[in-house]
Amino acid sequence: MKRTPLAIGLLATALVLTACTAPTTESTAATEEQPGYLAVADPSLATGGDLSVQLDYDSVEANGLDPQTATTARSWTLMGLVYDTLVTVGPDFSIEPGLATSWDTPSDTEYVFTLRDDAVFSNGRPMTADDVVGSLQRLLDSKSDWSLQLGQVSSVQATGGNEVTVTLAAPYTSFLGALANTPAAILPMTEIADGSVDITTTMLGTGPYVVQDHVQDQSWTFGPNEHYYGAATRGPESVAVDIVTEENTRLAAIRDGSADYAFFNNVDALDLLGGTENARVVNQQNTDFYYLIINSQNPDSPLADQKVRFAINSALDRQEISDIALAGQALPTGVTPATLPGACPAADLPSEKPTTDEIKQALADAGAEDLDLTITLYNTEPALAQIAQVMQQELAAVGVNLTIENLDIGSFVDKIYSSSPSDIDLALSWYAGYGDAAMVSKWWNGDVSTFTAGFKANDPAQNALQVAAGSEPAGAERDATMVELCASVDESSELVPLVTRPGVIGYRTDSLSPTINTNEGYGSVLRDIVDYRMIDAG
Amino acid sequence: MRLLLWLPGRLLGALVVLVGVSILIFAAVRSLPGGYADVILGSLSSPEARAALAEQYGLDKSIPEQYLLWVLSALRGDFGTSMVSQLPVTDEFASRLPLTLGLGVIAIALTVLIGIPLGVYTGTRSTGGRSSVLGRLVSSIGISVPEFVLASVIVFLFSRFALGLRVGNVVSPATDLAASIPTLILPGVVLAVFCIASTARTTRDAVLGVLVEPHVGAAVARGESKGFIIRHHVLRNASIPILTLVATLTAYLLGGAVIVETVFDVPGLGSYLVQALGRRDYAVIQSGVLLATVVFVVMSLLVDVLTGLIDPRVSVAKKGRWA
Repeated sequence: MKRTPLAIGLLATALVLTACTAPTTESTAATEEQPGYLAVADPSLATGGDLSVQLDYDSVEANGLDPQTATTARSWTLMGLVYDTLVTVGPDFSIEPGLATSWDTPSDTEYVFTLRDDAVFSNGRPMTADDVVGSLQRLLDSKSDWSLQLGQVSSVQATGGNEVTVTLAAPYTSFLGALANTPAAILPMTEIADGSVDITTTMLGTGPYVVQDHVQDQSWTFGPNEHYYGAATRGPESVAVDIVTEENTRLAAIRDGSADYAFFNNVDALDLLGGTENARVVNQQNTDFYYLIINSQNPDSPLADQKVRFAINSALDRQEISDIALAGQALPTGVTPATLPGACPAADLPSEKPTTDEIKQALADAGAEDLDLTITLYNTEPALAQIAQVMQQELAAVGVNLTIENLDIGSFVDKIYSSSPSDIDLALSWYAGYGDAAMVSKWWNGDVSTFTAGFKANDPAQNALQVAAGSEPAGAERDATMVELCASVDESSELVPLVTRPGVIGYRTDSLSPTINTNEGYGSVLRDIVDYRMIDAG
Repeated sequence: MRLLLWLPGRLLGALVVLVGVSILIFAAVRSLPGGYADVILGSLSSPEARAALAEQYGLDKSIPEQYLLWVLSALRGDFGTSMVSQLPVTDEFASRLPLTLGLGVIAIALTVLIGIPLGVYTGTRSTGGRSSVLGRLVSSIGISVPEFVLASVIVFLFSRFALGLRVGNVVSPATDLAASIPTLILPGVVLAVFCIASTARTTRDAVLGVLVEPHVGAAVARGESKGFIIRHHVLRNASIPILTLVATLTAYLLGGAVIVETVFDVPGLGSYLVQALGRRDYAVIQSGVLLATVVFVVMSLLVDVLTGLIDPRVSVAKKGRWA
């Protein structure tokens, strides 16, 4: 009889725990509502309303709010609400009109853009061809990261009232893709030139919104740009962005409806939000991908031997890394991001072929049995630790003992980039994949990416392949070049692409009808915000 | 009078501590691997870009020169500019401090209102009794459960179920005091749990220690009521360790607030300092640590004064100083 209270207590605990466990529901994470779109806003809903968004980190840039030198995806996302670019990318990474309504390519080095005649800066001044010329020239002069992505531009000229011609020194297939990202934004050059606007502290663009308030690392408030050419069809009237670093708090906001839309880095959010009433969670594939550095530049390390590096690369199972570390939501990839058109198939990479016995034999032949290595990573990207743990097991199977060293970002950057050779054996990080395969592969071209010199040899043959992939027109020939480039990168095993970096978006279905593309190239998690519709906007 | 003689010495000591800490923290943050340029410009940046940024913020000067410039500015009330926000550190602190103070006030209020009575209650009950065991159990759990675990559970429960309070959307007491309280209750409670538990435990031990003193036995023999004995004989004599603990906890709250502020998305001073450390925002880190040191030194000073007032025997006049 005395056991009755205990039994009731256990039963109650079990019931509470059951209630606390998210019900298992069929995942809608990768279900497309339309080809290329995970969600499509209901166009029958009225425009207007207030959108509440929670993002993981704020824009923190050396040059403040200057979009041309912005380097992080969140900067591009937030600044993209205010600034427009000449062109933009569609769901399949095709180039679509932006501030340019159309463009001609009289030759493979010449682009003639016809500009919108209704684009107006938020201060009421119409955009001119001179703004476009000045902006592109300013970007090229800046020597910023993104100026590298524009390729070799010979000239930018206004060739008509609404026409701008860009001439390249050499054919460059990624040119339009590079113009589609926020750093190539069109700035108010008249105001910048006369000093009436400091672009590092004030955002003044032709985009759908204007900044009403910004508290660093806390919040942004965007109001409508009354002069926006698409004002009549703009979805939310205002956008409140809260910067919430803690993933659990963003989950809470979607659960209790205090935010309409939130972004998550951790794929566990798919499960943690699964079954939440009036909420939907989707996995947006990115062209971003995780990579492994295998330092080839330390002559005293066994990793200086290509055979050892290739053996380590071969011991890694990309699909297993995705399945265990990233809940199967990532895609194995080579140097051309798996989500981009024409990407080389990761399954065909040379490192996919050797068996475990062959890998062990290769290590033994190289005199590198029972290797003790350290893998260095940083702690603001939780998936890195999960990937490293999977790699630890995979490498143990071929006799490599891996120690994980998880640092803060400052120490990580210092350890890898402050000395040559770098002070590491292995390291994990990720690259943004952008909108064309030749863009991210620049970081494998030692002539361009001098920052890799501490851990990667400058290989002229590999550089030539990268340049060829960037200059050949899209098609079978270029795809074949990319396969060759992927194989070269894989064989050298210095900077090894692993799996794509998925992003998770959660939103309230009772307050928001968003448009979300299936694949994203520039980390712009609010890309189609002007198409969003608030349920109660009417 | 003794206090007047003692105070200048202690203030001088506090000043030495502050100078020492300022040198230590200045050297420490600059010896951290990776600087502001590394963190903000990222791996793709050129050495030239990093050097230009270092020059822009005077980080290319020698460490002693940088320290001297910072100290001279600080003496004028200018603690530097945040490299991230480009705003004066004092403005950044002023906007965040009310939130951290709000959390601290809630936590200390709950500690005093719950922790001390709980400790007295369990301390005055028989050691093997049910209430004593329960009190010790509650204290042990409160001390043992890490704040991030408790905070995460609270965040989950209050976001999953409609329990009357919401997580996030915090209002600063400086903006609207009444509206801020409901938004700070949950993080305040989480912050208070450890303080309540440790205060209850310390209070119980102190009360038990005093209860066996002869003067308490004499009071019982005189027929004084239990309440009177507890108020006048037990609590007064047990108050010194309790006071010391509560003062220490007050200083600790700034550190404890880091986790709670992060999990509950409270843009207070604690989470700001951690963020600044990650970004190598030197002026913010230096000033934050200095502020924490000032709080700790002031609290220690206050405890010393109060201890001497409560129990003049602690005043070590015999040793030639006041306390």
